[in-house]
Amino acid sequence: MKEVLTAALDAATAAGASYADVRGGETTTEALSVRGATVEALDRSESIGFGVRVLADGAWGFASSASVTSAEATRVAKTAVEVARASATAISQPVELVPEPPHQIEWSTPIETDPFEVPLEDKIGLLARAAETMDRNPGIRVARGTMDLIRHTTYFLSSEGSDITQTIFHTGGGIEATAVGDGEVQTRSYPGSFRGHFSAAGYELIESMNLADHAERVAEEAVALLSAPECPSTVTTVVLDGHQVMLQVHESVGHPTELDRVLGMEAAFAGTSFVDVPDAGKLRYGSEHMNITSDATIAGGLGTFAFDDEGVEAQRVDLVKDGILVGFQSSRETAAATGADRSNGTMRAEGWEHFPLIRMTNINLLPGSGSLEDLLADVADGIYMCTNKSWSIDDKRKNFQFGCEIAWEINNGKLGRMLKDPRYTGITPVFWGNLDAVAGQEEWQVWGTPNCGKGQPGQTMRVGHGTAPARFRNVSTGTAQ
Amino acid sequence: MSVLSKVTPPLDVDIARKAAQKVLDYPGADGVEIVVAGSSSGLTRYANSQIIQNTVRDDVRATVRVVVGDRAASATTTQLDPQHLALAAGRALEAARASLPDPDFPGLAHPEEVGRAEAIMRFDDQTAAATPNDRAVAVQGILRASGADNAAGIYETGAHAYGVFSSTGIDCYDAFTRCNTTCLVDLDGSTGWGEASSHATESVDADAAARRARSKADAGHNAHDAEPGTYEVVLEPSAVATLIDYLAYMGFGAKQMIEGESFLSARRGDKVAAEAVTVGDDAFHDHSVGIAFDFEGVPRQRVDVIAAGVADRPVTDFRTARQLGESPTGHASGSNEFGPYPFNVVMHPGTRSVDELIGGVDDGFLVTRFHYVNILDRPATLLTGMTRDGTFRIRQGEIAEPVHNFRFAQNVLDAFASVAEVGRELVAIAPDYTSFGSTVAPALRMGEFTFASRTSH
Repeated sequence: MKEVLTAALDAATAAGASYADVRGGETTTEALSVRGATVEALDRSESIGFGVRVLADGAWGFASSASVTSAEATRVAKTAVEVARASATAISQPVELVPEPPHQIEWSTPIETDPFEVPLEDKIGLLARAAETMDRNPGIRVARGTMDLIRHTTYFLSSEGSDITQTIFHTGGGIEATAVGDGEVQTRSYPGSFRGHFSAAGYELIESMNLADHAERVAEEAVALLSAPECPSTVTTVVLDGHQVMLQVHESVGHPTELDRVLGMEAAFAGTSFVDVPDAGKLRYGSEHMNITSDATIAGGLGTFAFDDEGVEAQRVDLVKDGILVGFQSSRETAAATGADRSNGTMRAEGWEHFPLIRMTNINLLPGSGSLEDLLADVADGIYMCTNKSWSIDDKRKNFQFGCEIAWEINNGKLGRMLKDPRYTGITPVFWGNLDAVAGQEEWQVWGTPNCGKGQPGQTMRVGHGTAPARFRNVSTGTAQ
Repeated sequence: MSVLSKVTPPLDVDIARKAAQKVLDYPGADGVEIVVAGSSSGLTRYANSQIIQNTVRDDVRATVRVVVGDRAASATTTQLDPQHLALAAGRALEAARASLPDPDFPGLAHPEEVGRAEAIMRFDDQTAAATPNDRAVAVQGILRASGADNAAGIYETGAHAYGVFSSTGIDCYDAFTRCNTTCLVDLDGSTGWGEASSHATESVDADAAARRARSKADAGHNAHDAEPGTYEVVLEPSAVATLIDYLAYMGFGAKQMIEGESFLSARRGDKVAAEAVTVGDDAFHDHSVGIAFDFEGVPRQRVDVIAAGVADRPVTDFRTARQLGESPTGHASGSNEFGPYPFNVVMHPGTRSVDELIGGVDDGFLVTRFHYVNILDRPATLLTGMTRDGTFRIRQGEIAEPVHNFRFAQNVLDAFASVAEVGRELVAIAPDYTSFGSTVAPALRMGEFTFASRTSH
């Protein structure tokens, strides 16, 4: 691979690129779904190829191919330069990049157990035990366990002298039970919805989740939801569990602080942002309890790496400090456009065939203090919502409605009746302004979002969020009102 | 592709078949099926009225599904050489052997039972041969037509080919091209939208899409706040496409129906929409961009899932058709976990122009398109999302004033039950996240659509 990438880099430079980087990728995945006592899907995939990104005449060009040969490398590199020159016919400002020193390094996600070395029979058996336990509940229509294993090796070479090889492991798994009533469907999952919990880890993550131990409860809750009362439409205090805080951070802080959105580069598809570059240091985003970082260096995050996909070193930066917007997620291009002297390293591509974009690394709500019980104890009348189920937010990331799988009433600090279809709406800075407590480090967990979509052509990214349960006052609950 | 075609699709049928033949008799397998896909595409993105990203992608991949008794597993590779294909087959065989018995596994499709698909070949040479410079020229035209210094969107061209081959004799191949463009014009916060899509560049009037976006943005200045509530609406085709795509995702597939998650589970045979509403899957429609078979090699059928307002039947794959005791409709998605899927959703047209639809509204709203829609209740077909890029008040049959965006919360079938008139012009919409599939939608006038809240802006 390295020989082919070097050929591509040389060909791009020879063709007139003022800057070039080449990413080769080798990705191996295993996706497993067990439904009841049968394997519903089992797919093992590999993806091998490379992409060439160049600047020529002040504009970007990118081309990629799955054919890893020196002849193809030359062709693809020349195509990338041709694409850049075509781009240059419709630019008003040439692209400028902030400097980044060249890096030469090999890095790999630290793991305990290589998930691809674990016998398939063991993985299937683990999921089947949980699925069959859920299936024994007569009220359950579909009981499913899933596992997703990813090993992604990237070779990055640049015309500035970087030579970076990274191997990243992402592992995820979970269970879900679906109960069907009279024209109604309720699903409960563990540890999280949409294929469970993901981490930059090995098979030890799967073993640590003890999926089978939670199967009976998950099934019982799914069935109980069918007859539970609806979450009321009211204005009240809401405590969100860590999984839902993950979604809240992702949608209403992560995306709005991506500089490409702020600068209008995603306007036609994903949208823009309600914040602007001059807002940094001034805009009150939330209460003083709100401290948000973009941190690609924490252990276990799906956005944890040594270098991003344009060769910038992983960093931790503040986005919101004591409730004030203080930073953005940037690239070498957008950092230059805003006068910054360095990218904070958030350019990521789904694979070798994609142009890297600003993507969340690990966007974290820093912990406060106390336990979940402490958060609940201060609520005379409210609702505790758990596990994300639905999300919708406007193109400026300001007006949102989010929903969870399950909720409970909070009465005088104690959990009361179960509630179904819990949803809440809000305006981003108003909602975060009503944050009055975040639980402490002991409740803090790095969650993984494996399905963040962005870009054209569309790319799906795996991103991380460190969160703890949090309490918000004066929240509108129920379907949008 | 016509017989005069000079452009080779990104995956030639002989190359695809040759690749398949290397593994169809893989030792130890009771059956092998291979789906081979190739694509060559270019997408030029512009924003702030300049090109910001510009990509060309050449891709092939093969998915080998191996059967051992009543167990199956698959493996995918991006390399079509004999060594990688054999490795993929070996990984699939190992996985199938490790799997659990599946008493409902229907086996691989046999052409004697399901028939043989005849290729559609919606393939346009000019589109397949489009160069980066061609796309840049198109964007330059869009920018001129928009007349704005803040326009954003894409211009995309691509060629795609698929083949399915199996040890049971399935042997099918098809190819298509696509050109797709979008344009968002932002004039100091007033935004407008235009888009166009076809299998051929010559049928895509990108400049017209840009002018439409500009016109909407011009008309959107000084937007008013409007009271949320249930109103008459006219939904333009982009908005309708979003609703029917979600409706299809929520409930057109037989697996969702069997598992109780689809509206068809409880309402098959019932009247669920106005008689003017017929919507289903049709890869052969003039405006569709698709292939003639599914990912099991079963010929695609036209399926009206809702026919003249009646919930008629789901789309099926080989497994769910067996479960239902019906013939497969040719809608295997390639994912047994998800089940069959309608990749080419089409709503039948009516007889009215959009102006005539607007003329029928006494007090309501015109919606250009929706944004960030998500499912709240699958069997109830309840969605939420936002309006975007052109929402206007209609009074006494005329556009009265622009309004700020709404959040909606709406049961799609209830809305479709209130459809009063259907537009006569069908618009093709390309999918957002994939090169596969298409949606064809008219405009609709409906009597009841619920805007749940206004927005902060």
